Amino acid sequence: MKPVFALIDCNNFFVSCERLFRPDLEHRPVVVLSSNDGCVVARSNEAKAAGIPMGAPAFKFKYLFQQHKVHQFSANFELYGNISKRITEILTEITPRIEVYSVDESFLDLSTLHIVDYAAWGKSVRARIWREIGIPVSIGIAPSKTLAKLGTELAKKQSDLDGVFDFVNCKPELRNQALHQTPIKDIWGIGWRLEPRLRAEGFTTALQIARMRPQYAQQLMGIHGRQLVSELNGVSAHTLEPIKTVAKSIMRSRTFGEDTNQAHVLEAAIASLGASAAYRLRNQDLLARRIGLFTMTNRHKPGYRRWAREVILDTPTNDSGEIIAALVKELGTFFSTKQAYHRLGVFLHDFVPTEALQTDLLGFVDTTRHDKARARMAAIDRINNRLGKGKVYYAAEDLSKVWQPKHTIRSPRYVSQWSELPVAHIAPIAYTSQS
Amino acid sequence: MQAEHHNNGVSVHAGFPNPAADKSLGNLDIHQLLVQRPASTFLFRIAGSHWQELGIFDNDIAVIDRALDAHSNDLVIWWDDITGEFSISYRSTMPVEATFWGVVTSTIHQFRSA
Repeated sequence: MKPVFALIDCNNFFVSCERLFRPDLEHRPVVVLSSNDGCVVARSNEAKAAGIPMGAPAFKFKYLFQQHKVHQFSANFELYGNISKRITEILTEITPRIEVYSVDESFLDLSTLHIVDYAAWGKSVRARIWREIGIPVSIGIAPSKTLAKLGTELAKKQSDLDGVFDFVNCKPELRNQALHQTPIKDIWGIGWRLEPRLRAEGFTTALQIARMRPQYAQQLMGIHGRQLVSELNGVSAHTLEPIKTVAKSIMRSRTFGEDTNQAHVLEAAIASLGASAAYRLRNQDLLARRIGLFTMTNRHKPGYRRWAREVILDTPTNDSGEIIAALVKELGTFFSTKQAYHRLGVFLHDFVPTEALQTDLLGFVDTTRHDKARARMAAIDRINNRLGKGKVYYAAEDLSKVWQPKHTIRSPRYVSQWSELPVAHIAPIAYTSQS
Repeated sequence: MQAEHHNNGVSVHAGFPNPAADKSLGNLDIHQLLVQRPASTFLFRIAGSHWQELGIFDNDIAVIDRALDAHSNDLVIWWDDITGEFSISYRSTMPVEATFWGVVTSTIHQFRSA
């Protein structure tokens, strides 16, 4: 059976999610900013055309935003996560052989489906996602994942393709032309490190890489290079990765609204970030063996410093209280009022499943304490789930304005909060009586 | 199934499995009634009081399934470019220039909220 892969890639995903509930923003420049430091994390095509780069700090581009009337949103991850799940659901219905590669990209293995016209198949999937969920996608179909990825890029650039590029039933001249048009930096797996090295050797297009001798590619890029040449020639070297089931580590970090030397501000941040990370951990039925925090001064200012501390726990935990207390204690080992702290983060890693504590470790654990903590956590999670996040919090978790993310321009959580549902107005009388 | 015969001729049946023991058979799931396709189902809050005689009240929740084709007597949600708001009306009276959003499959009216 010949391998065939499709990559389904959502166009400007975060922007498309915002436009779903704001149809008036179609064809207008829109950007989504990261919720804490206000850098551009997604751009509509119109915003790209206006010359706004990815990662641009909003305050530096204020003038350009005003000039082009760019609509700004703070990231609304609850919305994006929900829409992403819906798309995965539809794709899983088409075939269970799916690899969710990121929040807005999924690979499908089509080799077991009986498809004659791949381009027509792609167009129907694209139409279905647009109609049922309201998100535009691009689809690349190819005998290898690298070519499928390249196909989505081509599909996005050429409007006459209807968002689908098929490398399977593609004349060799057309394929070569497509590879010739693709600069090496757009090839999946060629990063910023490799690109200058390849350029120095005279390689600028994907077609040149495809025509490399495999041995030479291996000399230049290692085994990865040999695989890359093979993939670009339509011979698959990668298969679907099994779905990532559990997180390996959880990190939460925030930039303070203004730099601070106040211990209570840092402690409040630890408490809130720690509570949020621990909630995630409990959701996955995991316990962390190692927890840590890091903090830094502004790296654009002189005297930049950073600190990181890690604690290895005797007993793995997902208790917000324990995690916060341990990290606040660590903060005390290096905190100084002479520093202007700019950013703080909390991380949890080295996970074990919750059940493991009750079986393997039973002899070493004070289980009554553990059970009590567990009941308390379950109660907190229940209340927060019902009333919305942040209704029940730890005393230290003061909701001080200094470090709160600037959510002022975040759109409503349309699909995850009862109080924030989109509103439909009963139409004026003229439209309401049925003709 | 086993039947035990007692002296007075009454038989007692034993060993028949209790159908209610399988919870998946016994429970009606309200979600199943209202949501056929979770991926394409969205909820809206209704605003406006002049449709009460039709049984649609201010603050009701509308269930929308984007996967459905709209027929002329369907209730639909559309984006009104003039007011900059979502509107609800019959498909047949949706203005031609409006952007269609989805078909309303039910509305939920709560007399007491949970």
